Amino acid sequence: MNKPQGTLDKPKLTFAQKCKTMRGQQIICTIVFLFVPLLLLFTFTYLPFFKMVQFSFYNRDYLRVRSFVGLRNYIDVFTRSDCFQALKLSLYYMVGSVFQISLALLFATILSFKVRGSRFFRGALYFPRLICGIAVGFIFKFFLNPGFVLDTLLGWIGIANTPNWLENQAINNIVLVCCSLWKYIGQNIVLFIGGIASVDPVLYEAADLDGANAWQRFKSIIIPSIRTIVVLNLILSISGALSVFEMPYVVTNGTFGTSTYFVVMNKLAHTDMKVGLASAMAVVLLVIIVLVTVIQKLVEKWLDYRENWPHDYGTKEASK
Amino acid sequence: MKKAMSLLLALVMLTGLLAACGGGGGGKEPEYSGPSYASLKVGEDYTDLTAELRVITHRTDLILEDPDRRDFTDFAKEFNALYPNITIKYEGITNYNDDMTARISSSNWGDICMIPTTILLPDLNMYFHPMCALSEIESESDYNFATNRAYDGQVYGIPSTGNAQGIIYNKKVAEAAGYTGENLPKTPDAFLKFLQDIKDKTDAIPLYTNFAAGWTMTAWDAYIYSGATADPDWKNITMPQTKDPFADRGDGTGAYAVYSLLYNAVSQDLTEESPTATDWEGCKPMINNGEIGCMVLGSWAIIQMQEAGPNAADIGYMPFPITQPDGKQYATAGADYCYGVNKYASEENKIASMLYIKWLTESSNFAYDQGGVPVLKSQPYPETLSAFEGIGLVEDTAAPTELASLQADVNRESELSLDADQSHVQRIVEAVITGNETFEDIIADWNSRWNAAVERCAPAQ
Repeated sequence: MNKPQGTLDKPKLTFAQKCKTMRGQQIICTIVFLFVPLLLLFTFTYLPFFKMVQFSFYNRDYLRVRSFVGLRNYIDVFTRSDCFQALKLSLYYMVGSVFQISLALLFATILSFKVRGSRFFRGALYFPRLICGIAVGFIFKFFLNPGFVLDTLLGWIGIANTPNWLENQAINNIVLVCCSLWKYIGQNIVLFIGGIASVDPVLYEAADLDGANAWQRFKSIIIPSIRTIVVLNLILSISGALSVFEMPYVVTNGTFGTSTYFVVMNKLAHTDMKVGLASAMAVVLLVIIVLVTVIQKLVEKWLDYRENWPHDYGTKEASK
Repeated sequence: MKKAMSLLLALVMLTGLLAACGGGGGGKEPEYSGPSYASLKVGEDYTDLTAELRVITHRTDLILEDPDRRDFTDFAKEFNALYPNITIKYEGITNYNDDMTARISSSNWGDICMIPTTILLPDLNMYFHPMCALSEIESESDYNFATNRAYDGQVYGIPSTGNAQGIIYNKKVAEAAGYTGENLPKTPDAFLKFLQDIKDKTDAIPLYTNFAAGWTMTAWDAYIYSGATADPDWKNITMPQTKDPFADRGDGTGAYAVYSLLYNAVSQDLTEESPTATDWEGCKPMINNGEIGCMVLGSWAIIQMQEAGPNAADIGYMPFPITQPDGKQYATAGADYCYGVNKYASEENKIASMLYIKWLTESSNFAYDQGGVPVLKSQPYPETLSAFEGIGLVEDTAAPTELASLQADVNRESELSLDADQSHVQRIVEAVITGNETFEDIIADWNSRWNAAVERCAPAQ
């Protein structure tokens, strides 16, 4: 029964007393403040998500459940021709996002150094991001239609016989990718400018003293310093590319082979009322996005590893 | 701290779960012991009834309180002369069918709405008040289209107006091409000749597809039923149990004739130059001014085309150019959206709602003003539908109770979504322009999808 010597007896506190201690107050504050955002997160993100997963096992429309079908919806997603055909279009958008990020990096680097009117350009480049996606869609719909703005502009500089940008299947998806790029590049630029601003200016001075030119500075100082942000942007763009909706939906309404995965899903859910099947499509897409993100992370780790190991072992012989 | 966090998270989940369970129940349906729709006498019964009605409509253009135009707000005032204590508030929804489908699952959306077509007939009683027995208003002298939103002998929706399915055209353009009321085309081949003549003799676009707006192309589906087959049972009873309904019948009738007309018109260059550049709002003044020859749209579009410019008198409406082997032409007539009354409204509101609906359909002259087929059999046809004289107007018969949802089930299961989605009609135009597939390929694909759906949805024998 005797307590070992040397241990302090903790004073026994009642629950009310515990609440009054510094620690107790901290916990109460945290709970109270976190409760609301967590509740919102749960009600509007997790609950609908769980419901969607549940829906995906049923044959149902919005108002009525017909029957439990087990995995049939998932089997349908993989055996139908249109779902994965639509996913192939995402390749256009993925290639586009690589261009988008390179271009954003270029603009961000230029705008981070002293350029006349750089504030104006930052604003101008970010501006499209502020316009509602549907409105951007309508802008491009009128911009690209035969005989409208783009054709007129090209006519002025002597280019006649333009193709029909939205109906020619060789180019219409590329045109739509360019529209997305115009809208979303501002986001990337802002993130990159933020990243570049956090680079220690001393590094540039040191590089200047060593006689580094602009390209060398970019390659050896900026890129390594903001690599996390580049990767973040890549992940966001790739998952964005898998779930493109606004542009093809508004500009072409999925016609002429521009129907992306989301456009197909939207039609199945809202006009054919196959809510179960559409939910299964959404779950499959989620799994694909998670996979792609994990693969990207792994590639990044591998690059890290490859870059670092010669230095770790300091084997000058090996690098010769 | 970690323990506190997980406790908190669990608490949040639990609250959310309870909220979710609570939300599912909906309200309780109040008892109803009042009179039926058919037995109400507007202007005589319940004149001192006090109620506040919320009405939801798809006609956002008719609630603007425009002083130059008699719209719903004026209807409400005229109704108030008879029922001063019933106040009526209108709300318009642009993307009506989808938005209303989502709202209808809460019990307190309002009192009167246009019943969304997404709600299957067997489900009507989950949301709407049964207004009267079908036998009370279906007789020879009463309502057209009474069966449109009825199930198991009960009427849940009263048609706001009726539509006939034909082709809207500009009379002056047709005249310049050599066509007057007498020799308007009656067969698909004659129609293609008609379009060719417009192209040769005028500057107008012969046939404007309205491809870009999308929903406008669903109009084509409305012609393939009784209008193209002369069989009133085709849409709701026969077609959902028939294999290969899109196949060529060889006599210029049926769905094949309707869709091949579009295919041929596009492939013979008788439509606008670039379908993606079509503009729905823009087409109205264009046809009014004679820049467009014709468009394939239901009779609901007539009034909009007439009001879009100074030449209202030039807008004409003709039956779809399909002639049956017996030498007669037929056109489908059907209900537009129907008024439904919320099942969860109080008894006073239900009575007030039914009085207002009855006044709208019987006394407001709404259907006539809109150029629609009258809802009451005793009401006159509007001038614009004069070309339909002597043409058999056929109403698609409602399926018997046990097959009530068959058409909708097969239609959705096939993913063609006739009447609701335009992508299959757009596909015809795309096929011509891209050359990726022939018309026969498309028909074969539709038939195989329809056949599979027919098999999957076949009623138990």
